[in-house]
Amino acid sequence: MSDTPTVLEQKPASSQWYLIGITKGLVITFSHLIKNIFNKKQMMTINYPEEKYDYSSRFKGNHILTVKKDGAIRCTACMLCATNCPAECIKITASEHPNPEVEKYPISYEIDMLRCVFCGYCEEACPVDAIRLGPEWQTPGLNGADFTYDIKHLAYRANLKGGVQSVVDDKERLKAGI
Amino acid sequence: MPKCTINGVELEVKDGTTIIQAMYDNHQKIAHYCWHPGLSIAGVCRLCMVEIEGNPRLQIACNTVVTEGMKINNTSLKVQEAVKWGLDFHLINHPLDCPICDQAGECGLQDQYMDFGQYTSEMAEPKQKKRKVVDLGPTIVLDSERCILCSRCVRFTDEVSKTNELGIFNRGDHAEIGTHDGKKLDNNYSLNTVDICPVGALTSKDFRFKQRAWYLKDSETICNGCSTGCNVKVYFNKEGLFRVKPTYNPEVNGYWMCDEGRNVYKFANKEYRQSQTLQLSQGVWKQLENPGKAAKDLADVLSKVNSSELALVMTGQQTNEEYQSILNVFVNNFKNKNVYHWNSHAATADQFDGLLIRGDKNPNTKGLQNALSSFGIATKWSDLENGIKQNTIKTLIVVGPENVGVYNDLQEKFEQFSNVKNLIVLTTSNVVKFEGFKNLSLATIIPMKTFVEKTGSFTNYAGKVQKFKRATTIMSTALTLDEFASLISGQDLQINPVPIQDLFVADNTPVDQVRLDHRKKNEFLFTKG
Repeated sequence: MSDTPTVLEQKPASSQWYLIGITKGLVITFSHLIKNIFNKKQMMTINYPEEKYDYSSRFKGNHILTVKKDGAIRCTACMLCATNCPAECIKITASEHPNPEVEKYPISYEIDMLRCVFCGYCEEACPVDAIRLGPEWQTPGLNGADFTYDIKHLAYRANLKGGVQSVVDDKERLKAGI
Repeated sequence: MPKCTINGVELEVKDGTTIIQAMYDNHQKIAHYCWHPGLSIAGVCRLCMVEIEGNPRLQIACNTVVTEGMKINNTSLKVQEAVKWGLDFHLINHPLDCPICDQAGECGLQDQYMDFGQYTSEMAEPKQKKRKVVDLGPTIVLDSERCILCSRCVRFTDEVSKTNELGIFNRGDHAEIGTHDGKKLDNNYSLNTVDICPVGALTSKDFRFKQRAWYLKDSETICNGCSTGCNVKVYFNKEGLFRVKPTYNPEVNGYWMCDEGRNVYKFANKEYRQSQTLQLSQGVWKQLENPGKAAKDLADVLSKVNSSELALVMTGQQTNEEYQSILNVFVNNFKNKNVYHWNSHAATADQFDGLLIRGDKNPNTKGLQNALSSFGIATKWSDLENGIKQNTIKTLIVVGPENVGVYNDLQEKFEQFSNVKNLIVLTTSNVVKFEGFKNLSLATIIPMKTFVEKTGSFTNYAGKVQKFKRATTIMSTALTLDEFASLISGQDLQINPVPIQDLFVADNTPVDQVRLDHRKKNEFLFTKG
């Protein structure tokens, strides 16, 4: 029996003794306590919410809908994000734009944040860099708050300061003849 | 009957068959744009290249007739290269705005590119810009940039609708389709040009930007817009029905259908449907629990009614099977032959525009007439009117039309019916305003199912019986006339309403086919490979 290879840790008989185990544990606890008292910088935890952790710029947080140079919404309502969304949380209603060069745009774009799993597939699917997952993640709401974000919030919320500009520009694209 | 070999398969075809037709009939894959089985041969796209043994150059399959002993092949490297770079020429000025193009997902260019193209463009020059969002007429929007000048739509207006509105203007890379000055593309068959357009150049105003093609599921049925009985496909998803397209039936409609028929999906959608079972008694409208219970209660009422005081009014919009069952109950259970045929289109019934549209806007007038005569019923409409006036008809069951748009006399006819003591209305639509009728004293309104929710058959103007299957379920609690007939005859019926999550799911979907909800969840990508 003992010869059979196993992935389980083979514990020695001594580990069954109470006092030995607890002393080992306490040694670890107190060594960290003393380390943290004398060297605060290497401490693993932070004092949330006074201190906040800086995530990398690649962090996938709340969505941002980008805008064009003139401030209009970049999204062309192609529905590729909604098609790709595994949580089915994106709802778009498309409409005809008065400008024939724009042609199609969303009159409503809603993301149900409570369903969203922040996988980033919408960002990957988007052909015109219209949707990005931004760095924000602390967006709590009171009981009964609306977590279905619309265009007004996704593209023009206050902390975006007038909107994030998309890298895909129609005018430049048309000029280049692509 | 020449014999030929196509890609190693020996075939015997009729005299005068073109190679592409022979390949099409035998389900062989061949790239093509301009060729359409219902139109003349243009030979402008140069994509259907085939190699014929003994012939030094490649030939186009659409304009080459099969001759005895011909050995044809379209899988050789030479053909593949020709098709590939032919496709590159088509795409030189194509804007590739697939994300906003309505045709994306069912586009000829996308399909051909994946099947035969798969190259990287060799063009360095900028693309030629053309007009976008051109209003061609009341039904159609043109995007010139997307057009590949296959001339299918031009040939359609020349040959099928014979209205000649469209043409190709200018030359070289400035060439584009359009209408002559001041003329609109406005005919009864204009939307067929959208169907045959292999790219997204012609789009339907009605369907434009409503849904992406891959969100829609289709199901075959029979158009109930007129007595021609065109074979159609309805496209729907969980938000409703969105469009109707023709399917090929050489005996009825060929490849086409009319623009009027494309509106038949609208009355089947939820917003125009009667959803509640209502009862009026002592001046108060009351909502009943479910239509089945209401019909069952009617069985007691109807069994007590004197046979001569009971009458039934029917329109030519229900299926043959439903006529049989309701007439069976009336004639055999109630011993009653007071069945009247409400036909608003009797005067115009013989009108015909030479292609598809007929004056009789009921899909099954013939079926109702056959059913009535098989039960030996011959009644006149004036008898009903007199009966209502003289108060000899006291209980009236009206099976209302489904396609209410074609019944102009709907409101006034129902006002006339409201003079009877007890009015029972079986209706699919919520268009008639019963609240306005002053003489109405006792009434029951029972929601019914439309043709897309029923299995049955229509008999068209020529007496051709066409079966169709239930496409989907929209109003799960509504009854069919079959069920109503069984219930009023006193039978018990187990009706299982369709659960909400199964509404708008195609009923004739094979079990192993990917369903819409799976499609949305991206899983279809994996099953397709």
